[in-house]
Formats: sequence, structure tokens, C-alpha cells
Amino acid sequence: MSTPILDAQGLTYAYPGGVTALRGMTLTVRRGRRLALLGSNGCGKTTLLLHLNGTLKPGRGQVLIDGQPAGYDRAALAAWRGRVGLVLQEPDDQLFSATVYQDVSFGPLNQGLSEPAARERVLEALAALDIAELAGRPTQLLSFGQKKRAAIAGVLAMHPQVLILDEPTAGLDARGVTQLKAALERLQERGATLVFSTHDVDLAYAWADDVAILGDGTLLRQGETVATLADAKLLTAARLNTPTILTLTNALREPGAPWPGGQLPRTAEDLGAYLDGCRDGVI
Amino acid sequence: MFPIDQYAWTHRWRGHHPAERALLAGGMLLIAVTLPPLATAPLVLLAMAGATVTGAGVPLAAWLRVMAIPAGFLLLSLPFLAVSLDLTDGMRLAFSSAGAWLAVAVGLRSLAAVSALAFLTLTTPVAELVPWLRRVGVPQAVVEIALLIYRLLFIVADCAAATRNAQEARLGYSTVRRGIRSLGLLAATLLTRTLARARRLEIGLAARGFEGTLRVLTPERTLSRPHLAAVTAALFAVAAGGLTLHQVLR
Repeated sequence: MSTPILDAQGLTYAYPGGVTALRGMTLTVRRGRRLALLGSNGCGKTTLLLHLNGTLKPGRGQVLIDGQPAGYDRAALAAWRGRVGLVLQEPDDQLFSATVYQDVSFGPLNQGLSEPAARERVLEALAALDIAELAGRPTQLLSFGQKKRAAIAGVLAMHPQVLILDEPTAGLDARGVTQLKAALERLQERGATLVFSTHDVDLAYAWADDVAILGDGTLLRQGETVATLADAKLLTAARLNTPTILTLTNALREPGAPWPGGQLPRTAEDLGAYLDGCRDGVI
Repeated sequence: MFPIDQYAWTHRWRGHHPAERALLAGGMLLIAVTLPPLATAPLVLLAMAGATVTGAGVPLAAWLRVMAIPAGFLLLSLPFLAVSLDLTDGMRLAFSSAGAWLAVAVGLRSLAAVSALAFLTLTTPVAELVPWLRRVGVPQAVVEIALLIYRLLFIVADCAAATRNAQEARLGYSTVRRGIRSLGLLAATLLTRTLARARRLEIGLAARGFEGTLRVLTPERTLSRPHLAAVTAALFAVAAGGLTLHQVLR
């Protein structure tokens, strides 16, 4: 297997004031994959994400970038953040400028790009998230979904190899989630690696290539989505529900039997199509 | 939440270069303060009202509301210009017609100048003036602080409104006593929340390579020759009209 693009090894972190958030956390981010971090509230998802771009420095353990231990001096952090983009959960925490255009131009300028090159990046990022028409809009007059996409565009304009998103779908309506997923899929097709935290197991089951299950500051297990989420004991230990579609597909087959259609359905649409086929065949 | 800001972002001339509006407002301001006020000021007032309401499409009610506050101050203070204190023969207040004319002239001139500023305020958001401030030599740090304050104003106001609503829903303002207590709690909450938010903002900025300067770009907008010509023509027309009218009145 090729070297993982990011590798967190045995991270320990306690917040000032004594709350221990990570206790030997491990995570492997493989190039070009969509990785979901799953876990209940307070299990250390956000703290782990803040370690993946060097915002927090672990008490013990280390982060490897392309197999090399990460440095925490100014130059190393600047290079790290150019490669690994972080999108915070609350877009208002990230949008500091008066207009969307201004805000998106911030990252590319910090990377030392020339003004014309930065302008190109801004337009490209706005187009990638389908918000080109919002360029001149003031951030305070945007809807939550628009703010969310503007915040992602601001990180995207820096051309990161890894995009880290903290709860990207939290607070979005169904259409907002669909648009966001489509935009992220387009990025992935262009070679980006995605890491996102969520406590929505249905989203992870339908959409992630890999999942990492977190519990109380440690990694319980990381692996391919369907195989990992099929472990009921693991989900109970992590205080997570079984994905709805998995519960339904389990009810439709003998315990442990293979799925008759071959590929196990992962979305409601897949399962609906399968059931349609059954009805047409049986009745 | 802030109606002036809302109009400034959404009016009809929004797509035009802000310098065109700045030139119009600045020119009118200059005319209002330098040329004879009795003849010129009403023309400036009319031109600026027209530009704001019929030109940029800001509702008349909004314009009137913005003008009302300075107009109120003028109404309160001008009568004192018409009256003078006479000390030659004891102390007595004297009304002079010269003083009255002076009061009218100052009033008209101030109102005209305010209308030029109101036009700029209602059509140009602070954020659009900020890059310009930097170009005319205001220190980087001051400009950045202005930008951040502008942005945080909305966030803090939203946060305050949400907290207030939550308090109100649980009867926090049912009596004056409780209201005062709730308001104190609101202020305390706002402080801690704003500090926490500032910390998160810092994380977000650092993630995008923040190293001490907030450099951003604004969309490129080109100055339009026809617009500049129209602005210049309007300025000349008002100045010439004012001077002619002044001759006639004399």
C-alpha cells in the first residue's frame, strides 16, 4: 500500500484546564479516499481534526505527512496548511470578510500568489461550489447553506490535497446536503482526499469509502465502510445507531447470508430499486 | 437588521464603481459648502434626493429617516443663531433679521451637505470604502480592525438578538426588575461567547495561512466613462444653476 497522505500516531491531547480529549488516537488518511470520522458527541472528532492541520500540537504522539514527521515551526505550518485545508463547522467562525469574493481571496494571497493568479483561484473556487453569482454579496446576507459553501470555497481556493470538514452537513437542509455532496464529489474526481466528521451514520454508510469509529479519545476501528459498520457490537460500544438501510437489508435476508442482488444497497434509492425489481418478479 | 447596510448592498447602482458615487457625493458636498447657500443648497438637496431615490432606487422613506436625525439637530440649534445676546444696555436677547438669514443659510447649507453624505451612506457599504482607505494611506492595522469590527458587528448583533429571544421566551422580560437582570446576563453571555468566537475565528484564519495581515481582493470593477461624464455634467449643472439663481435673487 502506498504511504498514507496523513498518518496520526498515538496522539494524546488535554485542553488547558484539564479535559483530556485524545488518549492515544490513531488515524490513517489514504490518498483519494472519502473518510468519515464517526463518533458520539465529545469523543474527540473535532480535536483530532484540529491535529490534522497543525492547529493543535499533540502532547504525545506524532502526525506524519507523506511519511515524514510534521514540523510545527512557521514555515512547516504554512506548507502544511497549504496541503491540508480545514473547514470549520460554523461558517460564521470562518467568514471574516465583508463579501464572499474578499473572503475567498484571503487564502490564495496568504500563499503568496500574485493578484491575477489569486483572482483566478477565487473564480474557480466559486464555480466549483456553484456560487459564482454570490461573489459580490455581503456575508451577512447569505443563507446558512450559502455561508457553508462560501466557507468551503475559501479553503478550496488554496488547492489543498486534503480537505478536512468538521460536520459539513450539520444544519443544512436536504437540498443543501445534496449540493454539498455533489460539489465534494467533483473535487474528489480531481484527486482531492476528503476527511469529514459526522454523527450521521446514514450519511457515512451511503457516502464514505472508509469510516473511522471513534470512542472516548481513541480509535475503535478504521476500515472499509460496509464491512466496518456491519459490526453491531462496535457500533454499540461507540454509542452509534445501525444505519437505517443496513437494518432494512438485514431484515430482508437470512442472518449472515450474502445479498441476493450481489452489491449490498447503501442508499434508500438503491434499496427501493431492488424492491421494485422483487415486486415485478414475484407478483 | 441594519437597514442602512441592507440598502447599501442592494440598491440599483450597486454594480457601478464606488468611486463614481464618491465623486458625485464629494462634488456636491464641495458645491454645498463653497457656493452661496440660499441659491445652491436647495439644488444640491434636490439633486441628491433624486440620485438616491429615483437613481439608486432607495425607498423615499429610508432616505427621509436618514435625513431626519441631522435635520432634527439643525432645527434645535438654528434658532439660537437668529438670536443674539446684547450686553450694551444690561443683558437682553435680541432678534436680528441678519441673524435669521444667517440661520436659514447655515441650515440649508448643512442640510445639503448632509444629503450628499446620506447618498454615499445609503449606496456604499463600509466594506467598499475600506480598500480605498488603504490606498490613501490609512495604516494597515487600522483598516484591518475596521474590517473586522464591521463583520463582527453583525455576528454579535445576531447573537444578542438570539439570546434575547431565548430569554424573552422564558419570560425574562416580564417585569422591569427581571428585565434588568436578564439584560445583565445577556451582556455577560455575549462577552464570553464573543471571546470563544474570536478564538475559533483565529483557528479558521490560521488554517488559511494567516500570519498577521488580512489581505483580501475586491472584485474588479471598471470606471465607466459615460457615468463619470454624467456625474461631471450633474456637478456643473448644479453649480451653474446655483450661481445663476444667486444673481437673479440679488
